[in-house]
Amino acid sequence: MTKWGYATNQWKAGFTGFARMEQQERALKVTAACGFDAIELSAGTGRWDPMGRPENIVQNFGSVEHFKLRLRDWGIQRVASVFLDPLQMSFEELHHGLDCTDRSQHALLLEQAGVFARFLAEVGGEVLVVRALPPFGRHGGLDAGRQAAAADCWNAVGAMTAALGIKTVLHLDALAPLRSLDELAAWLALLDSATVGLCMDTAELAIAGHDVAAWYRRFHARVWHIHIKDALAVDTLDEYRAPNAERALLQAGGQRGIPRWFGELGTGLVDWPALMGALRETGYAGWLIVESDKGPAPAAASMMQNAWTVRHVLQPLLT
Amino acid sequence: MTTVGSPLGGRNLRYAYMDHWRVDTAQGQISQYSSVERFDAFLKQVSGVGYEAIETFDFHLGALRDLFGSLEAARAHMQSRGIDRVLSLFHAVMYDARQSTPHVRATHDRMAGYAEYIMKSSAGLGVQNFIVMPAGLYFDVEPVTDDKIRACAELWNRIGQMTLEGYGVKTCCHHEFFCGIRSAEQLQKFYDWTDPRYVFLCLDTAQHVIAGVDPVDLFLKRHDRCAAFHLKDTHHVDTNGDYRRKPDAEVMAPTTARWFYEIGTEGGLVDFPALYAAMKEVGWQGWVGVEHDKADVGGGNYPESTAIAAWTIRNVLRKIHD
Repeated sequence: MTKWGYATNQWKAGFTGFARMEQQERALKVTAACGFDAIELSAGTGRWDPMGRPENIVQNFGSVEHFKLRLRDWGIQRVASVFLDPLQMSFEELHHGLDCTDRSQHALLLEQAGVFARFLAEVGGEVLVVRALPPFGRHGGLDAGRQAAAADCWNAVGAMTAALGIKTVLHLDALAPLRSLDELAAWLALLDSATVGLCMDTAELAIAGHDVAAWYRRFHARVWHIHIKDALAVDTLDEYRAPNAERALLQAGGQRGIPRWFGELGTGLVDWPALMGALRETGYAGWLIVESDKGPAPAAASMMQNAWTVRHVLQPLLT
Repeated sequence: MTTVGSPLGGRNLRYAYMDHWRVDTAQGQISQYSSVERFDAFLKQVSGVGYEAIETFDFHLGALRDLFGSLEAARAHMQSRGIDRVLSLFHAVMYDARQSTPHVRATHDRMAGYAEYIMKSSAGLGVQNFIVMPAGLYFDVEPVTDDKIRACAELWNRIGQMTLEGYGVKTCCHHEFFCGIRSAEQLQKFYDWTDPRYVFLCLDTAQHVIAGVDPVDLFLKRHDRCAAFHLKDTHHVDTNGDYRRKPDAEVMAPTTARWFYEIGTEGGLVDFPALYAAMKEVGWQGWVGVEHDKADVGGGNYPESTAIAAWTIRNVLRKIHD
């Protein structure tokens, strides 16, 4: 049976934002009020992210067990998953971003992933979601050596998390260098199908020009986790190739000045009836994590609208 | 009536704006360093109320280079909008005893190397001051011993000599109320033990008041060391020991959601008229930085705070000294 959850990544605007405990409490009460009782946390760094690191959770909540109790007080029964982008700097692991296509960085990446996998095991979570690949702008299209290195990295992470009872899933975003279905299929052949799955992100794929339902049908056996949000535009000029695409394309909107790439469910380009139909037909049984990532303030408005759409539009399509 | 768009400064003072802004967009709050258009709007707004320079963090250097192609081009764009330079660069280092923290001598080589890297990589912006927190978070430093203060002094003497003699930039110490050198006694030792040729004070009015230090008295005692200001106000003195409370005092103190306010805030504790009188008394001239860190906490916003501070300077403080 499909399980619904909501990500927390829309709340933290800026490094020092969303740091106070009362902000965390209000955000999760909003989540619960919208009908979601499971969440996906985002891995963070530094002292201003109370739920972003296991050490911070212990510091701010007393223990992981107390954290679970506080979440339940607020109406959140489970931490389903944690999203980790190893390309983000980490004060705790002392790095400025780790690249899975660089073998010299694998040991530290594995160590960092282990921190979150052990936390997930302790908190009763299920899935470690990792950014699969560096953006195209970093290396261009990935050569065979880098593809093999990335696969080896995630196979090691997958084996590590599997031993803890946690699934590892790879999140492909709109800037990922492996774009075509055949390219991805070839790379998947290098990954251990028993321990490494995919996180399908509906909006990221749509921005990259994919038919999301068709993409899912091609790879559904490997899709263990889904991020669900709408896309408001497609990267028709292939601006994902720019070396600074995270800023110039996603934040600044690229040459066309796209004000916002991600949208509320049902407001954009994703064909939800087709996707939900595909999920139903294939018996998808993983998490559906709704996101309001990079939406306008207030974050609650987007969540409340998405709650309505899930309840009245998407859930009926699954049954 | 003042001329529309006239500078805040007069004969003695010119004003820089220490930037903490984020802008509201369809994607939520985003850094204005994310696009030329957003950064340009920021420059025009700051210049529009009379500031003639900005100050920023060193982690924005890459974005400026990305937006404009080079830092020289970035400065030229600023100048076209009435912003002469990046007056001061705040050195944003998350101190960690494993590799970078001033009271641990074993980390000094790395810190000095990184500071020199920033000096080299910031050329072209017209930077005059390198602003640093002179010690780690209080709870990471305590107990604050004389030896630890001496270790900090050694580091900043070394870095201050490098920045001034190598790059013409003054290293200025900015004493956050939660850092390891915060009390009047610690400040006195630190400035006695640092070389007046190389280590300068950035007087942050709110930080000192929160820490229980009178910034006017400090300025009068150390005006010969003062090379930079961060003028901002506060409504609170830290009487609860928040400065040493883990994990964070600045934004997570349970007692105080917001520490910092703009000059001109109702109920502010900084005596700005007295400070301006002191500046007049000693004949202080030069750039003055205005700041209001975390102005958006509790529903405020950066543009409004920037303008209110400018109004107060123009209508209340300038007549005292300038």
